[in-house]
Amino acid sequence: MSGLPESLTPATKKICRTMTDTTIFKARKIITMDPNCPEATHVAVRDGRILAVGDERCADGVGNVRVDERLSGAVLLPGFVEGHAHLMAGGLWDYTYVGYHDRTDPDGQHWPGLTTIEQVIEGLSQQAQKLEPGAPLIAWGFDPIFLSEERLSRHHLDRVGTDRPILVFFSNLHLMCVNGPALGMAGYDSDSRVEGVVKDADGQPTGELQEMAAMFPLMRRLGVDFRHLAQRESAIRAYGRMAVRAGVTTMTDLFSTLSDDDLAVMLQITAGSDYPLRIVPVLGAAGGQAEELAARAKALAAQSSDKLRLGAVKLLTDGSIQGWTARVKWPGYVGGQPNGLWNLAPDQIFELCEVMQREGIQMHVHTNGDEASEVAIEAIEAAARKHPWPGHRHVLQHCQMMGTDQFTRCAELGIAANIFANHIWYFGDQHAALTIGEDRARRMDGCRAALDAGVRIAIHSDAPVTPLGPLFTAWCAVNRQTMSGRTLGAAQRITTLEALYAITMGAAYTLKLDGEIGSIETGKRADFAVLGEDPTAVDPKSLKDVPVLGTVSGGEVHLT
Amino acid sequence: MTDTRLPLTVIGGYLGAGKTTLINRVLSATHGRRLMVLVNDFGAINIDADLLESAEEDTLTLTNGCVCCTMGGDLFMAMADVLDRNPRPDHLLIEASGVADPQKIANAALAEPDMRYGGIVTVVDGRNFSTLTQDSLIGPQVRGQIACADLLYVSKTDGQEAAPALQAINPEAVLADPPTAPIETLLQEFGQTFEARGKPASHPAYTHWTGGGVRMFGRDRLAKLLQQRPDGLVRVKGFVRGDDGIGWLVQVVGRDIDLSRTAQPDKTQLVAIGPSARVNREDCDSWWNEKAPDVQPDALCHPSATDTKFREMDT
Ligand SMILES: [Zn+2]
Repeated sequence: MSGLPESLTPATKKICRTMTDTTIFKARKIITMDPNCPEATHVAVRDGRILAVGDERCADGVGNVRVDERLSGAVLLPGFVEGHAHLMAGGLWDYTYVGYHDRTDPDGQHWPGLTTIEQVIEGLSQQAQKLEPGAPLIAWGFDPIFLSEERLSRHHLDRVGTDRPILVFFSNLHLMCVNGPALGMAGYDSDSRVEGVVKDADGQPTGELQEMAAMFPLMRRLGVDFRHLAQRESAIRAYGRMAVRAGVTTMTDLFSTLSDDDLAVMLQITAGSDYPLRIVPVLGAAGGQAEELAARAKALAAQSSDKLRLGAVKLLTDGSIQGWTARVKWPGYVGGQPNGLWNLAPDQIFELCEVMQREGIQMHVHTNGDEASEVAIEAIEAAARKHPWPGHRHVLQHCQMMGTDQFTRCAELGIAANIFANHIWYFGDQHAALTIGEDRARRMDGCRAALDAGVRIAIHSDAPVTPLGPLFTAWCAVNRQTMSGRTLGAAQRITTLEALYAITMGAAYTLKLDGEIGSIETGKRADFAVLGEDPTAVDPKSLKDVPVLGTVSGGEVHLT
Repeated sequence: MTDTRLPLTVIGGYLGAGKTTLINRVLSATHGRRLMVLVNDFGAINIDADLLESAEEDTLTLTNGCVCCTMGGDLFMAMADVLDRNPRPDHLLIEASGVADPQKIANAALAEPDMRYGGIVTVVDGRNFSTLTQDSLIGPQVRGQIACADLLYVSKTDGQEAAPALQAINPEAVLADPPTAPIETLLQEFGQTFEARGKPASHPAYTHWTGGGVRMFGRDRLAKLLQQRPDGLVRVKGFVRGDDGIGWLVQVVGRDIDLSRTAQPDKTQLVAIGPSARVNREDCDSWWNEKAPDVQPDALCHPSATDTKFREMDT
């Protein structure tokens, strides 16, 4: 403030200060994703937006500046954009993580992966000691697909304790395993004939409960409510902390069922300058009634704020490949399983696409199997013939089995693709061996094919399905390495720069926010990922190991 | 001795089959029950608002209060909300989405101790269902909705025409006969009103049967007997004496046989109903009296003190 004349009144001083309050962040290196100035060392920020990018003189002549040296040892990238995740990823951390893979919780605590049932029992036992006597122990993330030994049963969980109900959700949230006292709460015993209550050879419940109907009595009695997992304040705050740890400054909630009360809470939380994340809730279409969905989407759009962007809708067409519920084209699943299930009938998909297109509402369309993506492309094409809208930017989400033919049609129609790159590492081996076979697994999540066809792409984690971490997601797209260490479909690899573009500008494009975020460029939001190393300089095999130190969101620094 | 569990009836069927029309007919009927309707479809409230309003107004006189709510995917969470309501409704109807598997929803009533299975009604559009069931994309799911039904309700055409094709997919289900039958049949889980409610609603299309006696049963023997009941006897309910001094509360709806413990009655009191076209009283009498002769308790039975639910399709 040294340049202000002494004679100014305090009130005037205050106005001048806000007008000239410019911060220059000095960094080891800034990778901008702006081809006009790909690299820089300084970025000037005013009112939460980027005033200038360049060297130490980039903001000369703008008045008073303050140089912030806190990031001077770091490498800055545009804040990462996660185009496909779910708010529940924050809420689940209210429960104990017992998954196979290492994860870090929103507060930075590292949870090592539990790779045997004995380790799961040990981890649960440690957690039980922290609870009140009799209090339920609820865990999540268990994935039997990675454990080749026996199945988790009530007997294992009874070893953790029979003085409290214990409930372990599997990672897909469609199954759980519970202990004896929990079985008792629901009245499940050898006489139960409820579908989904798994029995052993002696006719006793094993503790495994499959699908919602069988899980429901326990969830009801233990107060587990999926709606609250996503919408309570603690979940929204945890989502923000997770984002900081992953370098993410904008993230979707890609099947939102916002009530007006939920919306008020989200608007209030995200408006705080301490909240480090822009959330893009995308309204889920659980069924038909396209006109009402459009009206609701428009009403929500009108309530958007800088850090809560509403107005798009999500269509859920099929299920998942590893659950054999994705709709796949001939020759189907290699194990001969019947084709999957539609969550929306093809007729509904056509109707929804037509109405959303007519009303100017952007759609994110979940398509795992190639038959589902085919129907989605057909439906968007039919809608586009009736209601031309060159800038619709509808996005196919997951796109796991799409080949060059479908990507080419997407390019022709202006459809973007958000590709589930994390699947290659987590499930690639399973897909090759069990679901769709080697040849189709090689072309899975084909980022190269999409880019070569001229499609705008993003890549995603689908957190909590796989952990949030755009650098890991980029690593998957660059290396296509599976858990067993093999490279699955080398022809579909993309370069590090292409992958970094996909997690910044690419994802911003899919959210129609590329004019505001996605690059470090004058006029855009001052959203940065703060990294400990230069991701373009490391060996591509180490991309996932580049440390994330935090983020800058709207000019506010959040370090982990 | 009353059953306080909330009966759940799931109305399934593909898009446009006429599920909402059926629900509107239920709402407009003077059935004397507090209904709750859950619609498992985004915004799928084509439920007639006038009916709801009049139902609200008529709550006192007709105890016909109806509540509708909508939800996204969290149908089961909404079910928990309904169970927590005070007072609890008398009956829960869920309109499944056009592609939903009604069985997956109805299973909640088999699992949840506070609920009772009230059957799956699948509505079928008689004009287009044969095309739909052949469709390469959606056919399997449409057939699945028909296959799991306890009651098939053909809309828009005469049900008789569609009957052979439907029976080929689901030989066990009862065809609503005729489709314009009084809607009370649905709320009483496919039978007529069992207790007189001022105006006994008897209908010639239905056979009523009552069973009695003082015989005592173990769980397995009673369940087996009920499984062997005459074809078409869609609904059985009442009390049966248990061989361990504790009574059985019997609730049979469609394929579901639900036995739970209750105070030992002085004698068995069973009522049952089915379409006259498929079942008559003589069949019922001979089933009950001949297959279940009045003998000593079956020594092979191991009655359990806990509630028991049977599902014939699982056996
Ligand atoms: Zn998702």
